[in-house]
Amino acid sequence: MLKINDIHKSFGHNEILKGVDLSIDKGDVVVILGPSGSGKTTLLRCINFLEKADSGQAIFGDLKVNLNDASKKDIHTIRQKTAFVFQSYNLFNNKTALENVTEGLIIGRKIPKADAIDIGKKALDKVGLSDKYESYPSQLSGGQQQRVGIARAVALNPDIILFDEPTSALDPELVGEVLTVMKNIASEGTTMLVVTHEMSFAKDVANRVIFMDGGIVVEEGTPHDIFVSPKEERTKKFLKRVLPEDYTFYI
Amino acid sequence: MHSMEKYFDVSYIWNSLPILLPFLKVTFMVAGLSIIFGTFLGLILAVMKLSKSKPARKFANFYTTILRCTPSIVLLFLVYYGVPALADNFGLYLHDLNTAVFVVITFTLQFAAIMSEVIRSAFESIEKGQFEAAVSVGLSPFQAYRRIIFPQALVVALPNFGNGLIALLQEGSLAYTIGLIDIVGKANLIIAANYNTHALEIFIALAIVYWVISILIEKFFGKLEKVFSKGKQTINTN
Amino acid sequence: MSEGLNYTFLIDTFFIALSGVPITLLVTIVALLIALPLGFLLALTRINQVPVLNWFSRIYVSFVRGTPIIIQIFIVYASVPLILSLFFEKYNININVYNINPIWYAFIVFSFSTTAILIEVFRSALSTVNKGQLEAAQSVGLSNFQAYRRIVIPQALIVALPNICTATVNLIKATSLGYAMSLQEITLKAKVAANVGYNYVEAYIDIFLVYIILCSLVEYGFKLYEKRLRRYKYVSA
Repeated sequence: MLKINDIHKSFGHNEILKGVDLSIDKGDVVVILGPSGSGKTTLLRCINFLEKADSGQAIFGDLKVNLNDASKKDIHTIRQKTAFVFQSYNLFNNKTALENVTEGLIIGRKIPKADAIDIGKKALDKVGLSDKYESYPSQLSGGQQQRVGIARAVALNPDIILFDEPTSALDPELVGEVLTVMKNIASEGTTMLVVTHEMSFAKDVANRVIFMDGGIVVEEGTPHDIFVSPKEERTKKFLKRVLPEDYTFYI
Repeated sequence: MHSMEKYFDVSYIWNSLPILLPFLKVTFMVAGLSIIFGTFLGLILAVMKLSKSKPARKFANFYTTILRCTPSIVLLFLVYYGVPALADNFGLYLHDLNTAVFVVITFTLQFAAIMSEVIRSAFESIEKGQFEAAVSVGLSPFQAYRRIIFPQALVVALPNFGNGLIALLQEGSLAYTIGLIDIVGKANLIIAANYNTHALEIFIALAIVYWVISILIEKFFGKLEKVFSKGKQTINTN
Repeated sequence: MSEGLNYTFLIDTFFIALSGVPITLLVTIVALLIALPLGFLLALTRINQVPVLNWFSRIYVSFVRGTPIIIQIFIVYASVPLILSLFFEKYNININVYNINPIWYAFIVFSFSTTAILIEVFRSALSTVNKGQLEAAQSVGLSNFQAYRRIVIPQALIVALPNICTATVNLIKATSLGYAMSLQEITLKAKVAANVGYNYVEAYIDIFLVYIILCSLVEYGFKLYEKRLRRYKYVSA
C-alpha cells in the first residue's frame, strides 16, 4: 500500500537518512527500532512531509510522488491518507478533547459537524475517555493526552497511522494504558507504522520489525527473526544493550 | 510664574475637571486611530520579521530599533515639520493640515514598532508542535494559523497589548507640544489664561485623570485575559 | 519653499545637539545610581510582603506607570519650589528657590520614575530565581546578605538586564522632556539653534540622529555585559 524508495535526508552537514527503502501492506503493524540518531523519527516525519526529504519517492496506492518536490495538492492528499501521533502529544491547547478529535474531520475533511461529533465521541470512547469530552489538555494527565492524540488519529480513518515514540514522554505508570489502546487498534486491522522503544509492543503486536542504525535499514523481518535469531552484528549489539540480560523471548 | 502670590487651592483640582474632561474626546480619538492603524502596520512588520526573506527581516528590525530609540517629542516634531517639507518636493501643500493628522501619523508609526514586537514574540512562543499537529490532521497551513495558532497567540499577546495601550496613552500626552488641544492642551490653555497660577492643581487633576484611566484599562485587560484563557494554566503572580 | 536641506546648518546643529549629551548622560546616570538600589530594595519588600512598604510600593508603581512623565515633571517642577520655599522660610535659609539649577529637579523626577520602573523589573527577575537557591545557600551557612549577594542577585541580574536596558533607553528618551524644566539637554539646545533660522527639519533630524547613536551605544553596551554574565551558564562541567 505504501512504498518508500531510496529516501535521503540531511540536516546541514549531517546525513541522517542514507537511502532507506520501506514497504508496508494493508493491515501491517510495523515497528521501527534503533538507537537515537538512527533516523527513525526523521523517516516518519518525511512520510507526511513534516520534514522535506532531499530525495526519494513515495508510492501511495496509485499516487506516486517525489518526496523532495511534491506539489501542495499531493502533500495534502497524502496527509489525508495518513495520521500522526506525536511524542509530545501536541494536542491543540485551545480546544477541548472532543474538539481536538473533530477539528481534522470538520475543517480538514469537510465532514458535517454533527457527523464529526459522532465519530469523535466514538473514537474517544474507544480509547477509554468517554468522560473527558469537554476537558482541556491542561486538565488531562500525560497518558490521557496521548490517548486523545490517538483518538484524533483514529477518527480520521486514515490508510496508515504513524506513531513517533508515542510513550517516550510518559511517566512509566502511564505507558501501559497507551500501549493497551495501541494494541486494540492493531487488533482491529489498522495499518500502523510505529517508532518505539517498547520492546513488549514490538514482540506482542507487530507483524514486522525493522532495525535501523546510522541512517539505513540494517535488518528487517518478523519479531521472531529479529529478537530470537538476529543475523546482523549491529542488531545483536543493540538488542543486548536494550534487553535485560537473561530475558528470553518466547514467540 | 512667581510674581503673584501662589496659594494651593485643593478645590481647584476638583473644579477644573468638568472643564478638562470633555477634551478627553480628542485624546481618545487620536489614541484610538493610532492604535488601529498602528496595529495594522505592526502586523505587517511582524509578518516581515517572521518571514524567510532576509531583507524583509532586516528592514522590519531596523524600523523597530529606530522608532524605539526616538523620543516622542522628537518624532512629533520630525513629522510635523518633516512631512510637509517632504510633501513640498512632490508639489503637495500640507502645511495647514489639522494638527491631529500629524499626531496620528506620529503615534501610528510608534505604536506599530511596539506592536510588531508584541505580535512577533507571541507567535514565536507557540510551540511548533501545534502547527505540525494541525497540518497532520489535514488542515491547510492557513487554517492551522487561523484556528489553532492565532487564538493561542492572542492570549499571550493580550497583556503586552494592554501595556502598549497604556504606554501609547502616556506618550500621547505630548501631542500638545505641536498644538493639539486635547486634555493636556486644554490644561495648558487654562494655566496660561490664569497667568500661570494654580498650575499645580491643574497638573494634579490631569495626573488623576490619567491614573484612573490607566487603572481601568489594566483591570479591563485583566478580565479579558481571564475570558480568553480557558484551557490554559495561569501562573499566579502577585 | 524648501529647496532641500540646509546642509551647513545640518552639520553645525549636529554638534550643538551633541553638546547636550553630557547633561543627558549626567541625569541618566544619577537617576540610575539612585533608582537601581532603591528599586531593588523596594522590590524585595514586595516579594517578602513587608507590611507597609509593599503596599506603598504598589501604589507608587501604579502612579508612575499610570501618569505621563511630562505631567510628573510638571508636578515636581511646580510643587518642589513651593515646598522648598516654605521650608527655607521656616528655617530662615537664604536661598532663592528659583535660582536652583533645573538639573536638581531633573534628578528628582527621573530618579522617582525610574525607581518605580525598576521595582517591577526586579520583582519579576527575582521571582524567576528558584526559591531553592536561597534555601540551599542558607543551609550551607551563608547569611541572608551573602546569599543574596553571591547567589540570588547574580542569577536575577541576567534576567533583569534586558529590561534594565529598556528602562535606560526610555530614561534617555524621557530626558528630552527636560526642556520643560529648561534643562540644557540635547533637544533644547538644538531647538534654540533652530529657532534662529527656522531650520526646524534639519534641527530635528540632528536631534533624532544623536538619540539613535546614543541608544544604539547603550544597547550595545548592555548586550556585551549580558554576554559576560551569561558565561557561567554555559561552562561545561
